[in-house]
Amino acid sequence: MRRENGTSCLDGQTTGMALSVLAEVGRLLEALAATGEPGAIDLRSLPLTDADRVQLEDLLGHGEVHAELAVAGRSEVWETGYAGAWWIRHRGADERIATEVIAICPAPDILKAHPDDIQAAARRIRRELEVAQAPAAADLSETPLETSHV
Amino acid sequence: MSDNQRGPRGPAQTPARNTSQTLGEMLAERGVSRRSFLKFASYTASIMALPPTAATAIAQGLAAARRQSVIWLSFQECTGCTESITRAYSPSIEDLIFDFISLDYHHTLQNASGHAAEAAREAAMRENAGEYIVVVDGSVPLKDDGIYSTIAGISNLQMLQETVKDAFAVIAVGSCAAFGGIPGANPNPTGAVPISEIVTDKPLINISGCPPIAEAMTGTIAYLLSFGSIPELDHLGRPKAFFGEAIHDRCYRRPFYERGMFAKSFDDEGARQGWCLFEVGCKGPVTYNACATLKWNGGVSFPIQSGHGCLGCSEPGFWDLGGFYKPLSTAKGDPLKWAAGAAIAGAALGVGSAAIARSRRKKALKAAAPATPKALEKEK
Repeated sequence: MRRENGTSCLDGQTTGMALSVLAEVGRLLEALAATGEPGAIDLRSLPLTDADRVQLEDLLGHGEVHAELAVAGRSEVWETGYAGAWWIRHRGADERIATEVIAICPAPDILKAHPDDIQAAARRIRRELEVAQAPAAADLSETPLETSHV
Repeated sequence: MSDNQRGPRGPAQTPARNTSQTLGEMLAERGVSRRSFLKFASYTASIMALPPTAATAIAQGLAAARRQSVIWLSFQECTGCTESITRAYSPSIEDLIFDFISLDYHHTLQNASGHAAEAAREAAMRENAGEYIVVVDGSVPLKDDGIYSTIAGISNLQMLQETVKDAFAVIAVGSCAAFGGIPGANPNPTGAVPISEIVTDKPLINISGCPPIAEAMTGTIAYLLSFGSIPELDHLGRPKAFFGEAIHDRCYRRPFYERGMFAKSFDDEGARQGWCLFEVGCKGPVTYNACATLKWNGGVSFPIQSGHGCLGCSEPGFWDLGGFYKPLSTAKGDPLKWAAGAAIAGAALGVGSAAIARSRRKKALKAAAPATPKALEKEK
C-alpha cells in the first residue's frame, strides 16, 4: 500500500511472495536441467513489497558472477547463489529500475556478444588497421631506399 | 489471419525507407549494440505484459525491421499528447523508440513550415506508400464543412482522408482522436468526431487518455515494428496490454474500498490516511488504463497517489459523465449509475465490482457517447 510520499505502509512487511518466487525458480531450474529449456520471471509484474524484494535477494544470494553493463543506461547482472539463475536489473532514466527479471539459463543473452556485433567489430578493426597502416606505407614510398656504401 | 495479424508483412519486411539498411545495421554504425535492442525489448515485453522470454523475439524483430515512417497529424487538440510522448523521457532505454521511427511530419516538432512542411508529408506518403503509420491526435470537426479547423488551406477531414489512403495502419492517440474528447463534449459546437468515424478501411488502434501514458504509445509502436502486426485490442480498439484492467482493480487504495473506508472530502482524516477516493468522485472503477501500474513521470506517481480521484479520461465521453467530484453512487440520471451500483454492491458483499461494472460499461458509455453531427441532426 503506497503512501502519498511514495513509500508504502506494507514496505516493511513480507507477504510470502519471496518464497513463492523461490519455488518457481526451483521449478524452472529443474526444467532447464532436464530439457535445456530456458525460463524467466518478470519481477515487475509481481506484487512484491520492498521487504519481499530484499527477502528474495537474500534467499537467492549472490554467486560467482557479477557484471555491470553500460547499455542505454546502466544494467546489473549477477548469478544468484543457484547456478543458472540470474538476476537482471535494467535501469532507465534517473537510475530508476525499468525492468527486473530472473532469467533461468546457462548465461543471459545480454552478456553474450551478438554475432552481428562480432562481425561489425572485425570489420572495424580491419578498417582501423588500414587507416593506421596507410600513412606508414605512404611514408615508405616517399623515402628513398638507403643504399649501403662499402 | 486474425484481425490482430492483418499487417501486410512480417518483421523482416517492415517498412521500406529510402534506405535498405535495417535498424540493426543503421544503429550499429552509430555504436548502438544489439545489447541495447535486447534491453529495450525486455522493457517492452515487461510493460506489455508479454512473457519475459518474448524479449529475444522482439529484439530480433526490431533489428531486422526498417526504420518506420510515421506521419503525425494534429487536429482539434491541445498538444498534450505530444508533450506526453516527448517530455516523459531523459536519454536512456526508453527513448530508443525515437531511433526506430522516422517522424516525417509533425506540426509542432518539425523544423519545416508552410509549403516545405506539406511537401515533407507528401514525400513521406509517396516514398512509403502502403507502409507508413499515421498517428492522429485531436478530433475532426465535420460541422459546416469542417471550417473550424484547417491546415494548409484544407480541412482536417480532407487531410486525414488524403493521408491515410496509403497508410499501413492508423493510431489515434488521446481521447480526442479516439472518442471525440473535449472538442466533442456537449454541445459539441464544431461537430467533432473521433477518427474511427472516418477511417473505416484501415487497421486502427485507439490509445486513449488525456493525455495517454507515453509507454502505451511507444510500446504499441514497438510492437508494430517487432511483429508487423496489431496487438490484441479491446472492444474500444485499445491495446489490451495497457487498457485490459480497470484503474480500480490495480489501485493501491483498493483494500480501503473493500473495507468500506472512504475519504469524505479532500481535507478530512480519511484523505490524510490515504483511504479510497470513491466518494469524492473517483472514476477508477469504470476506467480502463495503466495509470496504477505504469504511473506517470517515469513511474513517480499517478493522480490517485497524488490524492485526487481518477477523472476517467481514457473513457468515451469522460467530460460529460456527471462531474469529476460527483460520486458514481449519487450521480442520479448519470449513465454511470449502473457501474456505480455494481461497485457499491461489490463493497457490501466483499467482492470486486470490476466484473459487474465491466459488463455494464458498454451500455453506460454508449449512453454517454459524445454528440455527433448525426445525433445533432436527429435533435433538430
